[in-house]
Amino acid sequence: MEYILDVHNIHTFIGQYHILQGADVRVTKGSITALLGRNGAGKTTTLKSILGLTPPREGKVIFENREVQGMRSFDIAGMGIGFVPEHRAIFRDLSVEENLKLAERRTGDYARKHDFIFDLFPDLKRLITLPGTSLSGGQQQMLAIARSLVADNHLLLIDEPSEGLAPIIIEHMMSAIRLLSKESTVVLVEQNFHVASQLAEYYVIIEEGRSVKEGQMKDLINDKTTIHRYLGAA
Amino acid sequence: MNSYIRKNLVLLITLAVIIALFMAAAQNMDPKDFVITLLRGLSVGALTFLVASGFSLIFGLLDILNLAHGTLFMIGAYIGWTVYVRPDTFVDLLTPFALVSSGFALRDVYPLLAARIRLGLRMKWILPWALLLVSILLFGFILPRYPIANWNLDNYAQSPVTYSFMADQGTRLPPPVVAFDKISPFLAISGLLLASLLGTFGLSLFGDNVQQTPRISWRNYAGFTLLLIIALVGFLFNDALTQFLIGLSTGWLFFIAVLVATLGGAGLGALMEATLIRPLYSRPIYQLMLTLGLSAIGIEMVRAIWGQPEFTMPKPDFFNGSGAGCPATTFSGWWVNHCSTILLLDGRVRVYNEIFIPLVGLVVLIAVWILLQRTRLGMTIRAGVQDREMVEALGINVQRVFTLVFALGVGLAALGGVLAAPSMGLSNAMGESLLLNALIALAIGGLTSYPGAALGSMLVGLIQQFIIKYGQIGIPIPFTDIIFKPTPPLVPASTVLLMVIILLILPNGLLGKKE
Repeated sequence: MEYILDVHNIHTFIGQYHILQGADVRVTKGSITALLGRNGAGKTTTLKSILGLTPPREGKVIFENREVQGMRSFDIAGMGIGFVPEHRAIFRDLSVEENLKLAERRTGDYARKHDFIFDLFPDLKRLITLPGTSLSGGQQQMLAIARSLVADNHLLLIDEPSEGLAPIIIEHMMSAIRLLSKESTVVLVEQNFHVASQLAEYYVIIEEGRSVKEGQMKDLINDKTTIHRYLGAA
Repeated sequence: MNSYIRKNLVLLITLAVIIALFMAAAQNMDPKDFVITLLRGLSVGALTFLVASGFSLIFGLLDILNLAHGTLFMIGAYIGWTVYVRPDTFVDLLTPFALVSSGFALRDVYPLLAARIRLGLRMKWILPWALLLVSILLFGFILPRYPIANWNLDNYAQSPVTYSFMADQGTRLPPPVVAFDKISPFLAISGLLLASLLGTFGLSLFGDNVQQTPRISWRNYAGFTLLLIIALVGFLFNDALTQFLIGLSTGWLFFIAVLVATLGGAGLGALMEATLIRPLYSRPIYQLMLTLGLSAIGIEMVRAIWGQPEFTMPKPDFFNGSGAGCPATTFSGWWVNHCSTILLLDGRVRVYNEIFIPLVGLVVLIAVWILLQRTRLGMTIRAGVQDREMVEALGINVQRVFTLVFALGVGLAALGGVLAAPSMGLSNAMGESLLLNALIALAIGGLTSYPGAALGSMLVGLIQQFIIKYGQIGIPIPFTDIIFKPTPPLVPASTVLLMVIILLILPNGLLGKKE
């Protein structure tokens, strides 16, 4: 089995708090992998540790057969990792188009990916000159995902794509993620088990900063005791 | 349109009140006094803006209140003076300066080098200090022996005051002849280069997280090569360069002085950010204390190098004509004679102080606005002000943008300093009042808003000059016989009062964003 990303036993501190206490995440190339777990279990920190935004103090992060832990965040991202953070982090002072253009890593990225992005999110096209402030939650989420697609990213880290969105928009978002996962590998943090179970092929459960269980999503769906134990009533 | 008015109601009212105040002021004033006061206000506003805009850019992106900004304004003035009045000193300084800073241009390469060296724990601790010590010893040995044609603070006939006076009279004192007699040129140059490389490499070894840079290209060596070329050219063609600069017209020499001061300020800013401020990003209080300390150090250094007495920087001939046809009455008349003054509504307006400086301010305002709105760097800055982490997650080297913005901000302050020098004169304290002005302007306009910095600076400049003018002519209080004459201490107080009023109505300043 070929792993595009292999997070091995990482320990991450935020301030004096020992947030990740030995997390392991293996991601198969071309798949969608969901990180599951309760609030505060360390899922978001895992994503940030991969990118070096909260650098792990111990352990290894191997991306495409290269150890990236200890490298600077922009260098890690520059190797081909896209990030869609929890609160979307749309730049308010930039227009929608500028938000996309800023994500260029080589000149012309935006022009190359233009059609792919707007086929995926046709709604964004008419918003292109608006400032980032004026978007609704769903539009911001679309823009945040679109932004991660501008550069040639082989791996996308998507944090809580369904958070705070109406059901109909969640459906739309799910089909978009399914489509883009044909192009790149996706790691998904998702509180909504219904969404995660429909999208992901693999799962990793994180509990108190440790990865406690991993496997194929189709096995987890029938494993009511595990779901109940680690994810609460879902 | 309607919703726009409703959204910005307070701002519009505030502006209307201010405009009304100025209209009322104009009523009691001669038109010529009004125009002159207005232009003077814009001139002070432009200088304030150059300090305030840099300060606000740095604060917006890096969250650093750079209290040394006023001092850097002053240093810009002194650098400009040196290039303008003593080009020989400037040329002599080129080589050692380029050599000393050359090491810093290689900082992207050092981590790679450091990764190759495997050291024991004790050596890891000793090596940076040892390198730094060797570097300091080398500098201490070479720099005092390096020949630089200089003024002499102890001898009045050779002091900056005298040089300025003579330059103003159109004569230049013959520069003192200096030569390599205390140290051989080869030893001096190679020694400085070695000291710079060892010192900066030593500095890069401090701190345990030496991170690897995956890509090293020719770009990482470009700055270093450029500095080496400057050093060699400055050394080999020393006399020719000096003669060339002395032979230039004062207009061109002034232009070069402005350029060198701005770039020098920018370089100083980049150096400051990279070496002193970067290690303190997570400690805001330490940063504040650091910039305050640097400000004091800067003032003392200027005092040691250029002396305590104030002196002037002669205006370039381009703005300093007199005699037949002066003061000019039309612009074309001014262009022929380059008069120092021009008549506007019968008032004598000094061209350099009251027209040139506001114009430069306007050009900078537009240029930086275009930089912020239309370039990728500007886009990165605007994004970084909001969310640094996300910009980095997009694969952008935020660190480099930080350094650039710091350099840009300090460069703007230095530009303000060198522009102010011919009109204000040079003194050790010139930066402090400007910094205070700039801080008030930013509080009025909005701390991180670029248009706010421009608006606030303009208001501060105008109010100060109008109060000064009323100190001379007095304000008749309506329905009484009293004529109120504001005293000089009211000048700073008036701007603070305006700031208090505006902050009471709009806590974020006129154009500041609500957080």
